[in-house]
Amino acid sequence: MTTLFPLHKTARPALALLGLGLGLAGCQSNLDATAPAASAGPLDFTSYVAIGNSLTSGYSDGGLYNEVQAVSYPALLAQQFGTTGKGPANFVQPAFSSAKKDGSGYIKLQVVNGALAPVVPSAANSYLGEQVAYTGANPTFPSELEAYTGNQPDNLGVPGISVLSASAKASTVPLIAGAAQAYGTLNNFYQRLLPPADRGSKDYVTYIGQKNPTFFTCWLGNNDVLTYATNGGVVDPANPFSNMTDTTSFGRGYRDILSTITKAGTVKGAVANIPNVTNIPYFTTVPVATVIAGIKANPALPNAAGASLYITTGTGTVREATSADLLTLPAQSVIGTPSTTNPFPVGVGYSATQANPLPSKYVLDATEAAAVVARTAQLNTIIAKTALRFKVPVVDMSTFFTSIATRGITTNAVNNSAAFVTGNLFSLDGVHPTPRGYAVVANEWIRVINNYYGSTIPSLDPNIYRGVLLP
Amino acid sequence: MQVKSILLAGGALLAASSGAQASGFQVGLTGQKNVAMGGTGTGLYLDQASQFYNPGAFAFAPTGFQVGGNMAIPRISFRPDAADQGQRNLQNTNVFPFSGFIGFGPKEGKWRLGAGVYTPFGSEVHYQPGWEGRYALTDINLRSVFVQATAAYAITPQVSVGAGLVMLAMGSVDLQRDIPLQAQGSTTPAHAQLTGNADHKLGYNAGILFKPSEKLSLGISYRSAIDAHVGSGDITLTNLPASARSNFSATSFDVTLPLPDVYSVGLGIRPNDKLTLAFDANLVGWSRYQSLDFTYAGGVLGGAATSSSKREYQDALAFRVGAQYKITDNFTVRAGTFYDMSCVRDGFVTPETPDADRLGLTAGFTYAFGQRFGLDASFLFEDFMKRSQTQDDLISNGTTDRVAGTYKTTISVPGVGLYMKF
Repeated sequence: MTTLFPLHKTARPALALLGLGLGLAGCQSNLDATAPAASAGPLDFTSYVAIGNSLTSGYSDGGLYNEVQAVSYPALLAQQFGTTGKGPANFVQPAFSSAKKDGSGYIKLQVVNGALAPVVPSAANSYLGEQVAYTGANPTFPSELEAYTGNQPDNLGVPGISVLSASAKASTVPLIAGAAQAYGTLNNFYQRLLPPADRGSKDYVTYIGQKNPTFFTCWLGNNDVLTYATNGGVVDPANPFSNMTDTTSFGRGYRDILSTITKAGTVKGAVANIPNVTNIPYFTTVPVATVIAGIKANPALPNAAGASLYITTGTGTVREATSADLLTLPAQSVIGTPSTTNPFPVGVGYSATQANPLPSKYVLDATEAAAVVARTAQLNTIIAKTALRFKVPVVDMSTFFTSIATRGITTNAVNNSAAFVTGNLFSLDGVHPTPRGYAVVANEWIRVINNYYGSTIPSLDPNIYRGVLLP
Repeated sequence: MQVKSILLAGGALLAASSGAQASGFQVGLTGQKNVAMGGTGTGLYLDQASQFYNPGAFAFAPTGFQVGGNMAIPRISFRPDAADQGQRNLQNTNVFPFSGFIGFGPKEGKWRLGAGVYTPFGSEVHYQPGWEGRYALTDINLRSVFVQATAAYAITPQVSVGAGLVMLAMGSVDLQRDIPLQAQGSTTPAHAQLTGNADHKLGYNAGILFKPSEKLSLGISYRSAIDAHVGSGDITLTNLPASARSNFSATSFDVTLPLPDVYSVGLGIRPNDKLTLAFDANLVGWSRYQSLDFTYAGGVLGGAATSSSKREYQDALAFRVGAQYKITDNFTVRAGTFYDMSCVRDGFVTPETPDADRLGLTAGFTYAFGQRFGLDASFLFEDFMKRSQTQDDLISNGTTDRVAGTYKTTISVPGVGLYMKF
């Protein structure tokens, strides 16, 4: 080789270098290769069964409908379990037929008199144009919903069900135990899941005992305090399940449920406890201070500066509301409205005469709120003890939701909070999550299941799922 | 009831995908010969691009004209901290930085006058539709063109000084992201696009070259900082729910992006007539960039009249080595390498600047067609270190306006230039 390189030779290494460079340019780093693979660990999700109430069923915006049912947290969990290769091939939800996809109907945000307002579907407004599933066979509530006719589903969530109403063994009071047994005639969401022959006789625990899961989740107990709380602490004499459940009955019922679904402790799963209901938008969206400030600034009200908001407490006392009293979401549309005896400006709750206080069912007064919080803590203790006995982890939704209420939760650059409408997580009923809220809930289940069992189930990107839709 | 108010927080102006060869969103692909030698140029003179690297060295540089361009081919991978969406790749877009210089003066004289045009900052990134970080950033495109007039003077045959007047002649930004608001009946969220042109701004650079012998030269140079300011940029919103419009009434925005100053020292060594070695160190004053603050005019954007997003950049060092070897009178080959430290702290990485410490490898050659004309070619490959941040990192830093996950970037930049000697 000569020391002097003619050009046509010397140019070659340079061109080869350029070629190598262009080759490198096509290289995309593979970060997936370095990430931990999805693994079920010791778990088997091939027959995953979810038991619970409205939260489990995928209830949102005050109704059960196909769109949100499809993104209920059990459906999202089943989807993520599937990534481990040991997931259910087909997670069956008791969906409504496509022509009646809007199920029980759901609240929509609409512009009413120039302002945004959640509008509840009803026969009077033609169900807001929704394709509802009421059959009309039972005109008084609960009106019958289109029956689900497939095989017993895997998502067994029944809106409205409590531990007390789920197990005929929970209460020793014959009326209550009997009502639990005949729950299929009392709750249209349970009714639609049962064959007609079972509706008056099969309690929920017997119904879930028909399944043979390899893994289960259970989130029950909320309605043992929530039904009472959302009704402003007013017990409905016609509804045996409308009071707070006593701890003895709750313990018996919860043990019955876990014993049945775990097949006496042999099936793995996870349970969730009861969030503090006083943190949810249903009780936080209408603060007493804001209402009182509004009354005092109302130019239509005589002597407005001296006026205030008056409520009827659970004991029947009429008094001025304080910041320790929690007004319910429906109270918003009641306060200040005229009645036959007190036409506006002396509307409901306004003080001028104290003769027209806000009815008790629209306010969870300070005493009632404290009782609900105390009972929730007691029931959560029972849930923890029972879970320990059946060797399943507890997803501490109480702590989780308190954290969200305090700090919010950020998902990929989106700030979510417990605020009504603007917070993305709670739907228009102020109690149940939006699809995004359900995804956040599913991630918390996954986190706890992974921690407890050593599995590596991947979590979800909640931003894929919607918050509240705006008109 | 109050309509959703979501702060269109922060936002970002510039990205690094084309930020080849320098931390943050600097481009620094000026002069093909310098690029091929690892980005050195402070301690020696190669050609008229000295106006950029060290105006002091320009006094000794040959007179002539040169123009060149590069194609930056970025590959950015992102994997979210959580979720099984898997790796996201960018819609990879090639960008084309360019530079051109002209230098006049007596052939063996003591002074030089010159002019130049180059693109020291800029970038373009387009993420996949629907990616995790869509509410932080979906698309960004920043362009900047600087022009410079330079004068240099050799005080003695050993010492020369020079200075340039630098102007941000053209700057444009196009920033897009989704807004977490969705209309009834719509399957996609609202989308915001912010576009604007930067004001003309002046800066300067200056440098000294000390040449104790034919075999050795030392240089120091400084480039001043410039605040790129977009006065009344346009806000375009699409797919916004009608009931949310009152929270998005802003019609224009105002933002200032601080561009850093750069301190450089360099060394040139010529052991013989054929071989030249160059060493450079740069200190880039990125700590000027602490936050990105938007002010909205004509109303609010997401319920707020201003927004602020933390950047908290730190000053960044880069070390460069380059060599050239003259194989024949007509053919010269070059190679180099550099290590460039990230100006972005841990937990502050944004999708628009997925910055990381990076290693560069360069190569190139010059072929001269006779005495006056020639062709330069360069190639640069940059490998960014893999960089991760968790949601907990973001929360503890107060930087949750970006996404948690792992970034990995590589960039390949071929370039070609032509020159003419006077």
